[in-house]
Amino acid sequence: MKRRIPLIICFAIGILMIIQFMIPHPISREFGSTVNKWYIVLAAFALVLAIGNLIRHHGTKIRRKKTNWPYSIVTLTSMVAMSIIGFAGGVDPKSLYQTIYLNVLAPLGSTMFALLAYYMASAAYRSFRARSLEATLLLAAAFIVMIGFMPFGQYISPRLPAFAEWIMKVPNMASQRGIMFGVAFGSIATALKIILGIERSWLGGKK
Amino acid sequence: MAFLLLIFSIAPPTQVQAIDKPNDAGSAIIIEWGFSKDDEAIEKYVIFRSTLPDTMRVKIGSIIRGNNSFEDDNTDDKKQYIYIVAAVKDDATFYSMPSDIVQSSPQFFNTGRTNILVCILVFIILLVFFVQRARMGKKLFVRKIPGLDAVEEAVGRATEMGKPILYVPGLGDIDWTATIASMNILGEVAKKIARYDTPIIVANRWSVVYTVSKEVVREAFIEEGRPDRFKEDYVRYLTEAQFGFAAAVNGIMLREQPATNFFIGRFWAESLIMAETGAQTGAIQIAGSDSVLQLPFFVAACDYTLIGEELYAASAYLSHEPLLMGSLKAQDYGKLIVFVILILFTLLSFFNIDLLHLLEVQ
Amino acid sequence: MKWYEAISKIDRRIIYLLLTVFVILPFFVPFKIRQNIMPQTQRLFDFVESIPPDDKVVMISFDYTPQTMPECHPMAIALLKHCFARNIPVLGLSFDIQAPGLAVEAFTTVVNELNLKASNYDDSLFYGKDYVYLGWKSGFTAAVLDMGESIAGVFPRDYFKHPVDSLPLMQKTKNYKDVAIAIVLSASAYPEYWVLYPQSRYGVKVGAGLTAVMAPKYYPFLQTGQFSGMMSGMKGAAEYEHLIVEKGYTKKLGRAETGMNSQSIVHLLIITIIILGNIGFFFSRRDQKQS
Repeated sequence: MKRRIPLIICFAIGILMIIQFMIPHPISREFGSTVNKWYIVLAAFALVLAIGNLIRHHGTKIRRKKTNWPYSIVTLTSMVAMSIIGFAGGVDPKSLYQTIYLNVLAPLGSTMFALLAYYMASAAYRSFRARSLEATLLLAAAFIVMIGFMPFGQYISPRLPAFAEWIMKVPNMASQRGIMFGVAFGSIATALKIILGIERSWLGGKK
Repeated sequence: MAFLLLIFSIAPPTQVQAIDKPNDAGSAIIIEWGFSKDDEAIEKYVIFRSTLPDTMRVKIGSIIRGNNSFEDDNTDDKKQYIYIVAAVKDDATFYSMPSDIVQSSPQFFNTGRTNILVCILVFIILLVFFVQRARMGKKLFVRKIPGLDAVEEAVGRATEMGKPILYVPGLGDIDWTATIASMNILGEVAKKIARYDTPIIVANRWSVVYTVSKEVVREAFIEEGRPDRFKEDYVRYLTEAQFGFAAAVNGIMLREQPATNFFIGRFWAESLIMAETGAQTGAIQIAGSDSVLQLPFFVAACDYTLIGEELYAASAYLSHEPLLMGSLKAQDYGKLIVFVILILFTLLSFFNIDLLHLLEVQ
Repeated sequence: MKWYEAISKIDRRIIYLLLTVFVILPFFVPFKIRQNIMPQTQRLFDFVESIPPDDKVVMISFDYTPQTMPECHPMAIALLKHCFARNIPVLGLSFDIQAPGLAVEAFTTVVNELNLKASNYDDSLFYGKDYVYLGWKSGFTAAVLDMGESIAGVFPRDYFKHPVDSLPLMQKTKNYKDVAIAIVLSASAYPEYWVLYPQSRYGVKVGAGLTAVMAPKYYPFLQTGQFSGMMSGMKGAAEYEHLIVEKGYTKKLGRAETGMNSQSIVHLLIITIIILGNIGFFFSRRDQKQS
């Protein structure tokens, strides 16, 4: 019974949402919007559970003085402080919350993003090796594109930038579309398998 | 005199037709007209509306010359309307004849989506057919997917080393199909973990994904008959901030040194930041994503990568469940049908038989 | 360790250090590389070049965020310099909440720089006469459509709270009829919606400045003529800077040029280490085969 109820709910809502997609009538739209509102309400409850997990995990770390426990104090203090600042001072563009968001969180995010340059270099060095025919082709294509898009590219050959652009627009785009086709079918199949109750891994198993 | 001549030489728009917008939720009427003969000379068309029984004209919008349709998306389904379109040049306005009386209404079926309905039905038939065949014991061939074959080895390695396994179910919320596919794989991985009694860390970005993944892992432990081994701390909620999440996952990898990392689901620019950190810690890494732009990064930094649809085939492959295997076959045949249709329609278009519009979705 | 083993296993920290040095180097040792101008950048430049001075405005929609600032901000600066050098009035606006601060910064930087060089009153730039920044507005679709009827109706007051009707530039800029081109600087889907709504209904010419990641998605818009030109990433910005320098509108290249120099030599570094890695790999494999 514990398994059957979620399966029934999943089947019923899944089929209703497919039907809802086909009907433009306001009643159908109202139903779709209600389901979305339900999702928001459920997400709010889930957030309480998630924050509970965060507090419990870091609280335990601090209490038991596990390795690196001072970082947990930083996490919990930041979370509580930002919540109080947000609730007390609002989140308007000129509020303290926004100021902290734009001047602390945004630059920290940008810093993490910037690390990508370093990681790209080390990953390219490690993985771009001509181990096989396929890897050699990949390496050659990568070289042409990189050099073609650089200002130096035109000095090597005036046709190189255009060739690099062709690689991006034609073979690259074609393979991407091939993958996207597969992804689209996989998504549809997964959705239908779950709605029809064939896929039950999300419930822990087949029984 | 010349000015007057110019005014009298401008022809108004002709044959104004107003129709209820098809396949909508009501409150919209489409107005179409024949171009003014002096379309090149005018500035724009202005659309006027009268709400019956009142005959007063109200301007509802305008559109530059060269256009001959306008959508009035602010109508009342209970009222009747008449439209007039005027050609405007400088301050002079040249009115058309009024349209017929029209009323907007909502529809109960979007005919522009019939093609999708047909596809879903065909796919369900294929699914049921192949699932039935699988049920009857028919053996189905599935090609080898090295990334999935490595799961057993990856879990075993972590057990031998006494280190945890890190599982990141992507950065997409639960409404991404990739996240749902990731939950299915997590269920299979968690069962193996429960069997070997290896610790796992599931790092979540979204609260709903967190609650779902917690249940998936818990259920897998119950399924394996080891509910007592499940720890609340196995499934963690980190943060919704994209790069904050990446920083937190990197922190886990560097501090807790997992032996195996799974990055399976929807990823964005943070993919390489996490995968490269994992590579530096020496962990075996298995990635899987349908994010085409992130796949090269995973291929470069991970030991195994599930590309695109392999992600969706994973739970069938791992569980060896005949019903799920049957669904893979249905998926392949579905794809074959679409390819045949696309090639056929494209070939027909060379002979001016345009059927590609049948594939358009409204 | 043999030499070829060493070059196939360079410590990642050495790579990171080299990368840092190569990124910083062009900021201290400036050098100039001739940019090959992509056709889409040239098209946008030519379009702005064809606008008559002191006539219609160039509308710039500043829709980028601090994260994408390194790519989009130099585009804004180069565009403003080009327009002001040709006496084309500029009307700025934003639909991304994080953008107004960056837009004001772009206007201030360019106007201060040009006013310092101005020799008389006529050469100077004045707010309200030569440029206006309308600020941020929510409800993108409704706003861009309503501006086809009246810009002042959508933005009754500008970013600095002046009534829009009181500004001389806005008295002659009523709606899209008075806009030569709308150039959208963004890292998201805004340019597409400018084509979808104001262009299809009011015939507004649309140009774009996009991050390098977003740009490939928009090539079809150039082919169909829906975009009157496009700058793609930092390279696009650097190309535009080159074009305005070549035409003599400004003497100095901007930040994108320096950024591009960093990017170019970092690419060279990456190519070099990949080659080294492959040489090492080749010799190591030969060794293994022989033994």
